[in-house]
Amino acid sequence: MIELRGIGKRYRVGDSIVPALSEVSLTVPHRAFVAIRGPSGSGKSTLLNICGLIDGFDDGSYRLEGENVGALNEASRTLIRRRHIGFVFQSYNLVPVMSVRENVEYPLRLAGVSDNERQRRVDAVLAQVDLSDQAERRPDLLSGGQRQRVAIARALVKKPALVIADEPTANLDTATANRVIELMRELGRQYGATFLVATHDDRMTAHCDQVRTMRDGVLQ
Amino acid sequence: MSALVLAWRNVLRNRRRSFVTLLIAALGTASILVAGGFAQYTYDSLREGAAREFGHLTVAHADYFDKDEESPLQYGLEGHEALVAELERDRRVRRVLPRIELSGLISNGDKSMIFMGIGADIMAEAAVRGPFLKLVAGELADGDRTDGPPRVLLGVELAESLNARPGSSLTLIGTTAAGGMNAMDVEVAGTISTNWPDVDKRLIYAGIGTARRLLATDKVGMLAVFLQETGDTPALRAELEARDPVHAFKPWWEQSAYYVSVRDLYDRIFGLLGVIIAALVFFSVTNTLTMAVAERTREIGTLRALGAAPADIVGEFVREGVLIGGIGAGLGMLVAGSTMVALLMFDIQMPPPPGRADAYPLRLYADPVFYLLTSLVILALCAAAAWLASRKAAARPIVEALGHV
Ligand SMILES: Nc1ncnc2c1ncn2[C@@H]1O[C@H](COP(=O)(O)OP(=O)(O)OP(=O)(O)O)[C@@H](O)[C@H]1O
Ligand SMILES: [Mg+2]
Repeated sequence: MIELRGIGKRYRVGDSIVPALSEVSLTVPHRAFVAIRGPSGSGKSTLLNICGLIDGFDDGSYRLEGENVGALNEASRTLIRRRHIGFVFQSYNLVPVMSVRENVEYPLRLAGVSDNERQRRVDAVLAQVDLSDQAERRPDLLSGGQRQRVAIARALVKKPALVIADEPTANLDTATANRVIELMRELGRQYGATFLVATHDDRMTAHCDQVRTMRDGVLQ
Repeated sequence: MSALVLAWRNVLRNRRRSFVTLLIAALGTASILVAGGFAQYTYDSLREGAAREFGHLTVAHADYFDKDEESPLQYGLEGHEALVAELERDRRVRRVLPRIELSGLISNGDKSMIFMGIGADIMAEAAVRGPFLKLVAGELADGDRTDGPPRVLLGVELAESLNARPGSSLTLIGTTAAGGMNAMDVEVAGTISTNWPDVDKRLIYAGIGTARRLLATDKVGMLAVFLQETGDTPALRAELEARDPVHAFKPWWEQSAYYVSVRDLYDRIFGLLGVIIAALVFFSVTNTLTMAVAERTREIGTLRALGAAPADIVGEFVREGVLIGGIGAGLGMLVAGSTMVALLMFDIQMPPPPGRADAYPLRLYADPVFYLLTSLVILALCAAAAWLASRKAAARPIVEALGHV
């Protein structure tokens, strides 16, 4: 489903050029749960952003479901993200003026899903993350674990092919982190989504189909 | 949750800031509506005043307005009675009154002054125009009596200079239509004021017959045509011009330099005021939304990652701008409307306009079209400000926006 070949990315900082990724090749099959680990600054986020089509790259090629997405313009990439890619962020990134339900509903609105269907799918996914009783509350009234479960629901509700999760448990205590990891694994399977997770967390790697390590922009 | 509800919640995120912006939009709208309403009221009063003074249309010899006469009434109207009768047959026409412009010297035996006068049917003018002259002393009189010297009305300042009172005898000296000199004894019937001090220094009103005798002519200078409705003026003028190529027809607005110059002045003052207020509202909304956009940069990045297009992001901010503008404009209309009603209840006098001596009541017009257009302009400005404030952030690289703190 994901085929990266020789991906390179460089940042220009002042006069010098900092290589963030070099010669990264990665193949991820459908429905896999893949963890990328590595020390800080090794390039995990850079790789995930490229895979999630929110960042570009300088060398190599990226095929997503067989399509050469590296060549697409921003509008086409937006459409692919809207339909096929979900995101879980380290600091949840929920919209504070929307209720839990509205946050989860948002991707379905963007995709133009009908009112009834939206209602049905939001109810279902909220039940799955065990937040049905919090549906009408604002996110800032929830705990970190609850918020990350809202974010997981928001990522999965549109039944995406790919979910990008950049350090989803970094802000959570161990017990909560475990619950979030289990939930992602469990729901990833149910929704048939491929998960690409960046983490420092060794608890995460125990659950994964594939664990890759990043060091200085090189995938090992 | 409709898009507008979301926009409203976003507006309320920083209540104080949004409230101040909304207030500026409201006060801006109200100021434009109040200033515009005052200008419209002023134009309307001046229009009625000018039409009352000159008649809605002035009919004259084709050359009367353009060429200088070598002798009085060289370009006067001959046999005007037929023309009056013909004009008065039109049911839009209320009355047609002949007038003669007079000038010459007026003397009390010891002292002579220049006068600029009008020969007119004074009683008929008063009947058509209402109280068009302020009588200071004496009475309005039909000047053309046959059982004594003709009677005239003098401007107060002219009367003062000549030490004249009602009943005083004076002599008018002028040039006849044929170019000779003529003198005529008259009696002062009353003194009058037009509220234009410069005019009152030289003004006399004489009967039309008196004026014709002084000029030794059968002609009159012009006909003042009074209509039932001021609004009929352009149409009637066009019809008359098409039908009658011999005469010149001048509408009131071409006669009243005062109306034109006040209108020019007010248009400029209030136009500039409007532009300044609009700019103020625009920059205030731009400022507020620019801050909101900056504060929500990471949220913008998040929504873009989830698949929102830049246009979706800009649309959200435009809705917020339109909400602020819409509520502001609504409140502004309310304030302007209440001001108008309050002015009807409490009589406030405005100081006299340039060159005049009379105060007049402060009133506002509330023209629905003007209200609608003003609100639309405010709305459009707010929408444009929102677009300007958000379009860059909406197109910013997503990773950059997400990393923003
Ligand atoms: N916008 C940028 N400008 C310049 N350099 C950048 C930028 N973003 C990332 N980098 C550099 O690219 C390299 C990889 O960064 P990246 O954020 O991908 O690492 P990471 O593995 O996610 O680290 P962390 O575990 O701290 O999140 C680092 O050296 C970083 O300094
Ligand atoms: Mg990172």
